[in-house]
Amino acid sequence: MGIANRKELEARRKALHKANENVKTHVRVCSGTGCAALGAFEVYDALVKESKKAGLPVQVELEPCGKEKDPLFVSLTGCQGFCQIGPLVHILPDDILYTGVKVSAVKDIVEKTLAGGQVVEKLLYKNPEDKKRLKGRADIPFYKGQELVALEGCGSVAADSLDSYVASGGFSSLAKALKMDPDQVISEVEKSGLRGRGGGGFPTGRKWRSCVSAEGDERFVICNGDEGDPGAFMDCCIMEGDPYRVIEGMIICAHAVGSSTGFIYVRHEYPRAVERLSLAVKTCEENGLLGKKILGSDLDFDISVARGGGAFVCGESTALMRSIEGSVGEPRAKYVRSVQRGFRDKPTVLNNVETFACVPSIINEGSDWFTSRGTEKSPGTKAFCLVGKVVNTGLIEVPMGTSLRDVVFGMGGGIIDGRPFKAVQTGGPSGGCLGEDHLDLPVDFDALAKAGSMMGSGGMIVMDDRTCMVDVAKYFLKFLMEESCGKCVPCREGVYQLHAMLDKLSRGEGEPQDLEKIQRLGKEIQVSSLCGLGKSAPNPVLSTLKNFREEYEAHVNDKRCPAGVCRDITTFTIDPDKCTGCLVCKKACPPDAISGEKKQVHIIDQDKCTQCGACRLVCKFDAVVTN
Amino acid sequence: MYIYIDGKKISAKDGESILEVANRNEIYIPTLCHHEALDDVGACRVCMVEITHKDWGGWRNLVTACLYPVEEGLVISTSSEAVRRSRGTTLDLLMARCPTSDVIRWMAEENGEISVRYEQIDDGSKCIMCSLCVRACERMGCNAIGTVGRGHDKKIAPPFFENPENCIGCGACAAICPTGHIEVNDTRTTREIWDKKFNFVACEGCGEPVLTEEYRDYAIANRDLPADYYTTCSACKKKKLASHFDKVGS
Amino acid sequence: MNAAPAVDMKQVGAVLARFEKGERSHLVHLLQDLQSEIHYLPGEAIRAAAEYLDVPLNSAFSVATFYKAFSLVPRGETIVKVCLGTSCHIRGAPVVVEDLRIGLGVGPGETTPDMKYTVEVVNCVGACALAPVVIANTRYIADVKPGTIVKIIEEG
Ligand SMILES: Cc1cc2nc3c(=O)[nH]c(=O)nc-3n(C[C@H](O)[C@H](O)[C@H](O)COP(=O)(O)O)c2cc1C
Ligand code: FES
Ligand code: FES
Repeated sequence: MGIANRKELEARRKALHKANENVKTHVRVCSGTGCAALGAFEVYDALVKESKKAGLPVQVELEPCGKEKDPLFVSLTGCQGFCQIGPLVHILPDDILYTGVKVSAVKDIVEKTLAGGQVVEKLLYKNPEDKKRLKGRADIPFYKGQELVALEGCGSVAADSLDSYVASGGFSSLAKALKMDPDQVISEVEKSGLRGRGGGGFPTGRKWRSCVSAEGDERFVICNGDEGDPGAFMDCCIMEGDPYRVIEGMIICAHAVGSSTGFIYVRHEYPRAVERLSLAVKTCEENGLLGKKILGSDLDFDISVARGGGAFVCGESTALMRSIEGSVGEPRAKYVRSVQRGFRDKPTVLNNVETFACVPSIINEGSDWFTSRGTEKSPGTKAFCLVGKVVNTGLIEVPMGTSLRDVVFGMGGGIIDGRPFKAVQTGGPSGGCLGEDHLDLPVDFDALAKAGSMMGSGGMIVMDDRTCMVDVAKYFLKFLMEESCGKCVPCREGVYQLHAMLDKLSRGEGEPQDLEKIQRLGKEIQVSSLCGLGKSAPNPVLSTLKNFREEYEAHVNDKRCPAGVCRDITTFTIDPDKCTGCLVCKKACPPDAISGEKKQVHIIDQDKCTQCGACRLVCKFDAVVTN
Repeated sequence: MYIYIDGKKISAKDGESILEVANRNEIYIPTLCHHEALDDVGACRVCMVEITHKDWGGWRNLVTACLYPVEEGLVISTSSEAVRRSRGTTLDLLMARCPTSDVIRWMAEENGEISVRYEQIDDGSKCIMCSLCVRACERMGCNAIGTVGRGHDKKIAPPFFENPENCIGCGACAAICPTGHIEVNDTRTTREIWDKKFNFVACEGCGEPVLTEEYRDYAIANRDLPADYYTTCSACKKKKLASHFDKVGS
Repeated sequence: MNAAPAVDMKQVGAVLARFEKGERSHLVHLLQDLQSEIHYLPGEAIRAAAEYLDVPLNSAFSVATFYKAFSLVPRGETIVKVCLGTSCHIRGAPVVVEDLRIGLGVGPGETTPDMKYTVEVVNCVGACALAPVVIANTRYIADVKPGTIVKIIEEG
C-alpha cells in the first residue's frame, strides 16, 4: 500500500496509532552490532516463541488492523547505547532494562515480567559503585544527561519497519518541508546553525545554499556513511537502527537543493547497515516515498546504496565521489569545491549520516528548538562513541558543551579498575589526545580544535595509565600510512618517515633531536599535503607530543616506556608479594613463558617472554609489574 | 585580469593555472608531475607557491601552482620562506625514497636544502609516483600500465605484473619519466620495455629504426594517416620533403 | 601464490549478468560481489569484469589492488578478522594477534597451509564497546580474553 500524499501519510499514521492503542507492553530487543554479537537475535526469537507458548498475545509487526486484543509488541530495535552489557531488552511502559540477557533467561522474563508483572532482579543493571540494582534507563547513570536527537529513533523504532517509523512521526517532517519553499527549508537549516557531524563542522545550511547557487543542470545528494575512524560506530548505529530517518533527511535536502539522484556510501565492514538501508530504500520506493512525485509534490528523487571497498581515504569527499564512480579513491585538490563541481563534475551536497539524521527534527521542531541546546557556535547535540578504558562503554548523545569530565566520569562511570585517567582521544586519526587538564573542557567544535584536537566524527576513546602515548601516536601513524592513497609525496613519504621515527623511539633508539624533527616534519606535512588525510595525519603525534612530552622524553632519555606498552624497552616481572599463584596469567601467556604451581609465586622466563602484556592484562592482583 | 607573481604585475586569463601564467612569462617554478599535454593531478607538491590577496585580511596559503586557478589580484610568491620549507621537505622526502636519483638531488640543491634527514630506502628505485607515465599511456590510448596498491607500497606496473598485453612499445612512458626510472633497452632492431620485446620497423630511406611494429599497426588502425607515413624516419621525411620542394622550385 | 583452484567462469558470468553491461561505475560493486561469491578475486574474474564493464584492465587492476576488501589470492575457509581499531588496540587486540600467530601459525594476511584459516586485521567493526572483537566469518566474538581465541575458533 503506497503513500501517495500527505493525507495518506496522516491516515496511515492514525491507523497505526489506533491499532497501537491497545498495545499494553512494548518489548524492545536491541539488535545493534554489539548486542547482535552477543546473541540478541537468538534472544528475540526465544522471546517471541516463549511468549506465544505462554499464551500471550504477541504481535511482532505494527499492523494497521491489529487482530489481537491487548497485544504485546515485541520488536528488534537499533542500538540502545549500552552495548557493553548487552543483549539489552527494554520493556515499556514500565521502563525495565534487562541487561546481559541470555536465551536461558528468556523464560524468566516471559513468566515473571510479561505474564506476571514482576521484575527479574538479577537481570537488572548492577551499579558498580554500590552494587545496587537499578531498574530502568531513568535510574542508570549511563543514560543520565543524555539527550537524543540524531539517535532519537535508534533503540526505539523497529529498525526494519517503515510502519514503526511512520507511527513514531516519521516523514511528517518531509511532508512539512515539501509544503515549504526550498529556500525556506535552507533558511531553517541555516538558522538552526547545524554544523556537519562528519568532522569538519562546516555549516550545513551554507553548504546547501552554495550548491543551489552553483551552476549545473543536475545536482546530487550524497550521504557519507563511510565512518572510517577506527573506534567509532555512531553512524553505523544510525544506519542500522533508524535508516528511514537518514533517508528522510536526504529527501528534504534533495527538495531544498533541487536534486533527483542520491547516494548513500556505506563502509563495507558494516554489512548489516548495507542490508537495512537497502531494505529501507526499497520499502520507500514501494510506498512512493522515493521515486516520482514524492508525497504528491513535484519532487522526484532516487537513492542508491553504494558499498565502500575498505579504504579510510574514501571518507574524504572527493575520494568518495571517485569511488562511487567506480575508480580508485584518490582525492583531488579542492580549489574548486564539490558543491560546485562534485560527483560527475556536477554540484553536489555531501553530508554525514548524523547530519542528515538531525535534519528531520530541525524541520519539524524548528530551528529555535535546535539552538536551545548546545553552545552558541555549536548548537544541538552530538553522538559519541564512548569506548576504551572506561567502565561504561557504548553510544551516547549529549548536548554540545557538555564537559569531558561529565562524559568520562558521569556517563562513563570513570576508569576501569579505578586506575588513573590519562587522556581522551577525540577525532580519530585526524584528532588528538587531551589530558587531565582538559577534563573540564566543554565539548564542541571550536573548544576541541583550540585545545589541539578535533571533534571528528565522534569517537571518544578513554585511556588510562597503561596506555602509552607514543604507542597511540604510532598506532595512528601506522593506520594512516596504510590508508594513505599514496598519491602525494608529503603524505605518502612523510607519514612513513614519521612512523619510522616513532618506531625508533618505541624501540628505545630515539635521540634527543628526534622530537624536534618529528615536530618539524609534522608541520610541513600539514601544510603540504593534498587532502585532509595528509593535512591532519600529524595531529595525533603533534598533540601527544605537546600534551605528554615527558612521556616521549622518557622513551628517548631513559629508554623506558612508563606505561609498559612498548615491547622492546619493557620487561615484565611478577611481584612475589602480590602474586597469589592463581595460574590465570600462566594460562593466558601465548608463548608459555610463565611457570609456577598453584598457590605459589609465578615466574616469567625472560627468554621466552615476548612482552605482549597478556599477563598484566589478566592479573587481578596487580602483581605483574614493568620497569 | 592581472595577477602578481614575485612582485611583477602580469596579465592572465580566466581558467589558467598559476603555473601556466608563470611558464608563459618565463618565471621558473619547479615541477615533477606536470606536463603541458596531460591533465594535472597535484601529486609531487614541488610546484608549491604561496598566495594571498589584498582582500584576504593578511591570510596566506600554500597551493600547488599547477592546479590553482588564477583570480583577479592574486598575489603569488614562488620562493617565500614557507614555500622553500615546504618544497625542501618534499624534496628531502623524495631523496630519502630515491637516493640514487640525480634529478631530485639537483632540484633539492637548487632549493637550497641538501640535508638528508630521513631514513633512506635504498631499493634502487627512482620512481617518485608522479604518474606521468600512466597518464601518458592512457593518453596514447593504450592503458598498458597503472597504479597498483596504495599508500607507501603503491607502485606503477602493468596489470598482474605480467608483461602488458596493450603495450605497443611507443616509449612515451620512459620519455616522460622525470627521473629516468623506466628502463628501455633499444638495439638497432629491437626494443625491450616492461619485460616485453618488440621489433623495430626500419626506415625505408636509411634503415634506421623508426618505431615498433606494434606501434605502427596501432597507429595505422587508430590514426588517419597514410600507411607509408610510419615507414620513414623523420630525418628522411624531411629530406624527402626538401627534395620535393626543390623539384617544385626548379 | 597458493595453487589456485580452477575458476568457475559460469559462476563469474552469473555475477556479471546482475549488472548493466558497460556501466563503469559498477566496478567496485561488481568486484565485491565476485569476491563474496568466489571468496577472492582470481585474475580471470578481474579480466572478465573489466571487459564486461568496458573498463581498461589497468584501471580494473588498480581498483582491485587499492581497496582492502579485495584479495587476489585464495583465502581460507574461515576468515578470522581481528579488529585492530583504536578501542580494540588499547584493550588488548595485539595480544589476540599474538595468540593466533602462535596457535594457528599464521600472522595477519596469511593463510594456513591447509587452507582452513586466513587471519586478517581490520579497523573497527562497530562493536567497540565489546573490545577486543574478533569476527570468524560472520560470527562476532566479543571481549576476547588472552589465551582463549584459538580454542574458540577451532571449536566453531
Ligand atoms: C581522510 C578523511 C576521512 C574522512 N572520513 C569521513 C567519514 O568517514 N565520514 C564522514 O562523514 N566524513 C568523513 N570525512 C569528512 C568528509 O570529507 C566531509 O567533510 C563530510 O562528510 C561532510 O559532511 P558534514 O558536513 O555533514 O560533516 C573525512 C575526511 C577526510 C579528509
Ligand atoms: S607539478 Fe604541481 S604538484 Fe607536481
Ligand atoms: S575498535 Fe574494534 S570494534 Fe571498534
